[in-house]
Amino acid sequence: MIDISEKRKEVKKKLRKLEGLPTLPPVVQKLCKMIEDERTSLNQIAELIEKDQVITTKVLRLANSAFYGFPRKVSTVNQAMMLLGMNVLKILVMTSSIFDIIHKQDVGLWEHSIGVAACCKIIAERLEMKDAQEIATAGLLHDLGRVIEKVAFKEEHAEIEKLIKQGKDPLEAERATLGLDHAEVGAFLMSQWNIPERLIEAVLAHHNLDLTKKYKKEASIIHLSDFLLHARGYGETLYERVPRLMVESLKILKISLPEIKEIFFSLEPKLYELKFFTEELKNELS
Amino acid sequence: MQRLPLHYIKPGMKTYEEVVDSQGRVLCGKGIELTEEMLKRFQELGVSYISVEGTPVKLPWEKTLETELSELEKRFENVTDETLLQIKEIIRELLLQKFSNKG
Repeated sequence: MIDISEKRKEVKKKLRKLEGLPTLPPVVQKLCKMIEDERTSLNQIAELIEKDQVITTKVLRLANSAFYGFPRKVSTVNQAMMLLGMNVLKILVMTSSIFDIIHKQDVGLWEHSIGVAACCKIIAERLEMKDAQEIATAGLLHDLGRVIEKVAFKEEHAEIEKLIKQGKDPLEAERATLGLDHAEVGAFLMSQWNIPERLIEAVLAHHNLDLTKKYKKEASIIHLSDFLLHARGYGETLYERVPRLMVESLKILKISLPEIKEIFFSLEPKLYELKFFTEELKNELS
Repeated sequence: MQRLPLHYIKPGMKTYEEVVDSQGRVLCGKGIELTEEMLKRFQELGVSYISVEGTPVKLPWEKTLETELSELEKRFENVTDETLLQIKEIIRELLLQKFSNKG
């Protein structure tokens, strides 16, 4: 029998050292330093990103995909910065290598994640929340921990899948094997990357709203979107059946069932467009 | 009617509704047969999607209504909670409406 609190420490240690994880490209490391330096101008940042064609392409592609839903085409890094804000741009740059891994490792999970991002954006805008694109980005990253489990904790991941097959709840299977679940793993890694607290907390609490301190609404949006995408059946995750819905999240967001219907009707055309986006990525892989 | 990304559109397909560019300007009316030149121009003007008559392109990932409904049942198997069942009903309505529009 493994000691679960020891295991938890070991997992966190590995995450802290980023062992077995993709390394951030040098340009990203430089970018992070620049963003933290208040003397840096936005133009300097855009210039640096634009020097790296691969990252520029990835960032523009994400900025143009339907989950942000801008009516006009985003064609320069400068525009992306204006529309998405520095926080989101930073996350897109930093995680573009992670997104690569997600869609290479697990296209189903990638589809699920971008569907959740689109839904988060719709809900955040309905509620007139500040920086809806930030919440969409948290939606994009909400299952980051699952990907990390898959690439950096291969043995444990196999064990988790085995337990789920035997009928164990996916979250419990993760906790029993790693000492923490994917929400914690993802949030922990995000905190290592200096991503804003609002996004970290939303990811951390998306299966347990009690873990929030300040951002209960944000976490509720991700939780509800995650549930709605499972209910609609878009992308693939460890759940074959609809997962648990914390009804509390509906109360926190003051969302009624007729509103859920409106959300589904706004979401459906977005999902239709996003399918073309993921199919293109799939074709590039094969 | 089928809504498709620009690069799926072939000359000879007919527009189902007006084609607008990213700034909302109308580039082409409805019921017009598209030509190679028009498509080239749309590309230059940043048009991303066009709705055409009929369903000229078979999208391999599109499911039939029957499949959608039976998968929905499966996802909600053994669910008894009233709120969840109402959400399931909403999705059923969505699917029925979506497919009747396609009709």
